[in-house]
Amino acid sequence: MKVLHVDLSECKTSVEEVDEEFALKYIGGRGWGARLVWEHLKEDTDPLSPENIIVIAPGPLSGLYLPSAGKTSICSISPTTGIYGDSNIGGMFGVELRQAGFDAVVIKGKAPGLSYLWIDDDDIQLKSAEQYAGMGSIETEHQLREDIGDETVKVASIGPAGEKMVKMACITADWGRNAGRTGMGAILGSKNLKAIAIRGTRDLPVADLKRLTGISDKAYKKLSRHNLFEFWQRQGLMSVIDYANTTGIIPTHNFKDTHFEEAGKINGDVMELEYKIGDTACFGCPMACGNVNLVKDGKYAGTVIEGPEYETAAMFGSNVGISDFSAIVRANYLCDEYGIDTITAGSLISVMIEAYEKDLVTLEDLDGMALNWGDDESIMEMIRKIAFREGVGDTLAEGVYGVIERWPQLAPIISHVKGLDQSAYDARVAMTMALGYATSDIGAHHARAWPVAKELEMGCNWDLNEKADLVIYHQTVRPLFDMLGVCRLPWIELGFDENTYAEFFSAAVGIEFTLEELLKLSNDVYNLTRAINIRLGLSRDDDKPPDRVFNDPIKTGPHAGKVLNRDEFREILDIYYERRGWDMDGIPTDETLKASGLDDAIEYMEPKRNTK
Amino acid sequence: MRKKLTVIPERCSGCRVCELVCAISHAGVNNPKKANIRVISLYPHPVIKMPIVCEQCKKPKCRDACPTDAIVVTDGVVTILEDRCISCHACVSACHIGAIFVHEDVDTPFKCDMCGGNPKCVEACPKKAILYVPEHTLGQAHRLASALQYANMQEVEYFEHGEKKKLRYAEIETGGTRGDSR
Repeated sequence: MKVLHVDLSECKTSVEEVDEEFALKYIGGRGWGARLVWEHLKEDTDPLSPENIIVIAPGPLSGLYLPSAGKTSICSISPTTGIYGDSNIGGMFGVELRQAGFDAVVIKGKAPGLSYLWIDDDDIQLKSAEQYAGMGSIETEHQLREDIGDETVKVASIGPAGEKMVKMACITADWGRNAGRTGMGAILGSKNLKAIAIRGTRDLPVADLKRLTGISDKAYKKLSRHNLFEFWQRQGLMSVIDYANTTGIIPTHNFKDTHFEEAGKINGDVMELEYKIGDTACFGCPMACGNVNLVKDGKYAGTVIEGPEYETAAMFGSNVGISDFSAIVRANYLCDEYGIDTITAGSLISVMIEAYEKDLVTLEDLDGMALNWGDDESIMEMIRKIAFREGVGDTLAEGVYGVIERWPQLAPIISHVKGLDQSAYDARVAMTMALGYATSDIGAHHARAWPVAKELEMGCNWDLNEKADLVIYHQTVRPLFDMLGVCRLPWIELGFDENTYAEFFSAAVGIEFTLEELLKLSNDVYNLTRAINIRLGLSRDDDKPPDRVFNDPIKTGPHAGKVLNRDEFREILDIYYERRGWDMDGIPTDETLKASGLDDAIEYMEPKRNTK
Repeated sequence: MRKKLTVIPERCSGCRVCELVCAISHAGVNNPKKANIRVISLYPHPVIKMPIVCEQCKKPKCRDACPTDAIVVTDGVVTILEDRCISCHACVSACHIGAIFVHEDVDTPFKCDMCGGNPKCVEACPKKAILYVPEHTLGQAHRLASALQYANMQEVEYFEHGEKKKLRYAEIETGGTRGDSR
């Protein structure tokens, strides 16, 4: 297995053969990424400086014949949060990288001028991208393919927001699939890297192809027989709107409420009947959750984009008070083309709407443009301003911390953890969700833990020990998918048995692994990302859910009146630390680090421990 | 009865499972680029995903283009004979839908053989976008569409409670409630 190292400052590339011990210890994807970030880590590195590295790593299952194996992790120190960050992307990009012969690309330095990396199997070149400067990410992808003259080339690129180092910039591939969170696009922008284009033609290594084929034939059949399979293909994640609204977890008006009266106008049925023109799937995925939507009439007529999915529809729907689905499609298109994260953009825009409503900011602060709930035209303009860093957009482009620095009075109304805006599931209804956000290694994102459904299903009054265990289980099993390079949706949405992934992995690498062994390795990586964050100055004080969770009761819907109790949160955090083998300051103990094979982290943890 | 492969591009999600199962069963490797079928994805102008696979022409242009008579039609399947092929790729350019493929590792161009009458891609396609149907049913969708379009234009008059009404042929089946389109 090979890692491609690219030093943009020196315009040099080298190929490193990865030893088996490393490969199997960290599995791939996020695991490899976190380890490589750790090994390059210096406490004083600015995430947007040439010294920071960014790792693009599919996993050992990416591209293989098994359901939904099209995921790639992108890992670095995040400019949004200043701590470890990763984001994963679906589509075909990572598969193409593996077919070119590389299991990861590590990029450092800064190119002298705007450039793109062209990986044509083992022929690697850094080429000028001046002609693509300022171009949207979808357009860049289209143009690069045309210029290379091969429609099958896969492209990941940044839009104008990434070039301008907007801290919510994403990396986009396959026309609107995004590594959205933690500002990975800003890092490419800081390195003057506009795009990566790949053509890979090689066979992917599989130790026992016959065995893999046998398991996968059955796996595909099993999924296709699930009673929700066809519904899933039709609506994908858009079906979550109705679920989240009925159960009372949909973010509404900047996370003030969890129930949106007009949810029926922005749900999966509306999309399917009035907007959808086709399906898209990531590599090898039978579920095809992507929906290509077209706005057929009105002021946004002609807008076509893959999406929105649930997060975008909620963040640019209920959370900003928009009940016109065509406006959500438009917002999705603009964010994708400019290259910004729909979750963070939707969150910060909703913050500004609430701030304006409550007179916490003035009309001048907003450059004279009033911003109100459901005012789609101002919201579109705000998206553009963020992407191009114009006026107030320049402040929002700095993310949560930038907004708080300029307007400290807004801190209580921003729902974030560690500088990353909360994704589209309210945490007030479920202690597990609050704990999941608070202890997620990248900030308030649901990728690590999404225990809210389970907690609601079981009624919220159960033992805190069990709740902490549920969060830890989520934080162990969900990142495992990112390490393997596969999507977790077959497991979450169609109840696909997670043990099968151990079989896939064993067949692929030719060494027997059980799910328990893989989960242990995933847990080790969680301790590693924790160690990275502790080194970067994080402490127990940072493991807290957004303020709103404790002091702003839900007003409407099934959970009206509900808030979480601060003391109870402290209690569950103690339990969580204890069960993780971290001390009461949230620092992994020496024993825990040793058990995770992270002996080299011990010396860095000692100075951080509270010695009183 | 002779059967043929046909595709419904509107259904295709572009997942490339067809490529995977094809490559594994024919080339014995996990490499979609060695498949005898290829999914083309275009976006955004226009949006389309479409599996490209040999139509098994009865008078194949690829055969006509071959300078060494390496392409033969046997039992309705167009086959490239490896021992006669000189890898000039004339057939690749000649195919009007581009259903003959090349790969650096392989000398002879490759194409669909319909898996001996049990096409793997048809079975594997999660969206049922590839069909294996009797030859004479090809074009059926268009025939139905034409008939339906004609029926939509034709009206019959009838009386209901003494009142004269009109009904289109196409509405007879649904009871004529045209007002509610859902």
